[in-house]
Amino acid sequence: MKFTCDEWFVSELARTIRDGEAVFHGFASPCAQVAMHLAKRTTAPNMMLIEGAMYAVDPTPPFIPPTGNELSLKTGSVYSMRFEEFFDAAMRGDIDRMFLSGAQIDQWGNANLTAIGGMPRPKVKMGGGGGGCNASATVGSLTIWSTNHRPGRCLVEKCDFITDIGHRTPAGTRAELGYTGGGPEWMVTELGVFDFPDGRARLRGVFPDVTLAEVEESTGFPVRVAPDFAPLRPPDRRSIELIRRIDPLNVRRREFRADELERVFHL
Amino acid sequence: MPFHLAADKTTALPDAARMVPRGGLIALGGGLSARLPMALVRELIRQGVGDLHIIGSAHSIDMELLIAAGLVKICEQSYVGFEQDHGLAPAFRRAAEEGALEVRESCCDTILTGVRAAEMGLPFLPVRGVAGTGVRDLHPEYGEVVCPFTGERLVAVPALRPDAVLIHAPLGDRAGNLHLDQPYVLDERLAAASARTIATVERLAPSGEVAEAGIVVPAHYVAAVTEIPYGAHPASCSPIYAYDRPHIAEWVEAASAGPGGAAAYLEKYVTGTDEEGYRRLIGQGRLERLGYGKRSEQAWMELFR
Repeated sequence: MKFTCDEWFVSELARTIRDGEAVFHGFASPCAQVAMHLAKRTTAPNMMLIEGAMYAVDPTPPFIPPTGNELSLKTGSVYSMRFEEFFDAAMRGDIDRMFLSGAQIDQWGNANLTAIGGMPRPKVKMGGGGGGCNASATVGSLTIWSTNHRPGRCLVEKCDFITDIGHRTPAGTRAELGYTGGGPEWMVTELGVFDFPDGRARLRGVFPDVTLAEVEESTGFPVRVAPDFAPLRPPDRRSIELIRRIDPLNVRRREFRADELERVFHL
Repeated sequence: MPFHLAADKTTALPDAARMVPRGGLIALGGGLSARLPMALVRELIRQGVGDLHIIGSAHSIDMELLIAAGLVKICEQSYVGFEQDHGLAPAFRRAAEEGALEVRESCCDTILTGVRAAEMGLPFLPVRGVAGTGVRDLHPEYGEVVCPFTGERLVAVPALRPDAVLIHAPLGDRAGNLHLDQPYVLDERLAAASARTIATVERLAPSGEVAEAGIVVPAHYVAAVTEIPYGAHPASCSPIYAYDRPHIAEWVEAASAGPGGAAAYLEKYVTGTDEEGYRRLIGQGRLERLGYGKRSEQAWMELFR
């Protein structure tokens, strides 16, 4: 069976979800969205899936649309939270995991979704961080992802602006800042997977067509390698089929540069 | 904030837009590509109501048009853009990068907190997070409070009390009771916090029908209501019609070409016409094709291919 980089990537995101967790993704996050629906159907059947900008609980959308608050995303759900109901739950610590991305991410897992070149006069003004600035402080665990590691501009030594908080900022650690959530636990990129054992990113594994040297070359901070560093385990056939069924419009593929989508693997 | 108690608040669109004060703090209802108050946005542009301080959660083409028309002084939202769908917001980007717009970027729960303070008649409320981030630096008006019981330090957000919130609803009555489909986003909270809600509805109906559908924003918050079919276009108005993806792409392409492209769009679709003319320009057949109706899943999906 032939499968592509985006499919493996989504299955790595899904693996970060533990069964029984209450999990949320923000808008503009199709890879995380597909990963949550995949986990719900495979390894985490008892998770509570809260669907991004719809705040719908455990929906079964017929397809993933290219926008985050399309009616299809609450199909099959019997209850949608109110906006404030979700954020209250996140603030008091009832949301176990959230998926967050960023145009720049540093080794502590801080992320910039606001401006390349910083504010108030940005070189590139990006859309903004949505609810991440608050939720990254209080949600139990964070899974961070980037599909833009290889060009070397995403995993940086220092973010030009911190929108979402990782394990520490120049202003202090999470404990010093009074943050109640656990912070980044996993970071998945199109090159490999990192964890944060002491608050700093550490490489756990790479995709089989990626070398450690390539990761080092693409990363703006020194790459620490875990003692059990190993190639990533491919997804099973059923997961790949499910990803295709969950996302027939291939919205997840919009997160990747064209050359990454040409990476093909075999089962 | 006095309630709005008139029995009939139906208002012509130009008069409704005149309730928005120049230089005012204005909130936008809906979010992303759903239930944006586009007819009111277009009318504000026709009337040139400028120097606005706009708040909301995550927005897209509504902010784009207002910014391109030069009406926005301060943008205080958590996001302005078109997701992975069409990417960055070209007019917002250009204005922010040239320094023509003050971006007081915020985050969803922080905006909610300021709005809730206003709704509760409080001068501020504390919020979690924000400290130690760049977002905090964009808001010198925030403070810090120490909890008198636990000693915990929290960021204090001042009340955000909009002069008006603009909301589009699928259904409403002449008194201004509004039924919305979820997600309500911030609309319920904004209606309670604002001095007045200015509403457009797809259809005016007897109060009994609106009550049966479920009143989400009650009439006493609403100062004006206007029936404007397709008043959220090119955003969606669930459960009636989906967002018009190709039309949004048309805006992004026009605005990406430069200020001239954005100006040509505004001349064609906004300042050069009225809402009836707008619907004619889009075309009745095309508008009807966006309808959810009894569409099969396959046909539904094809809208977005």
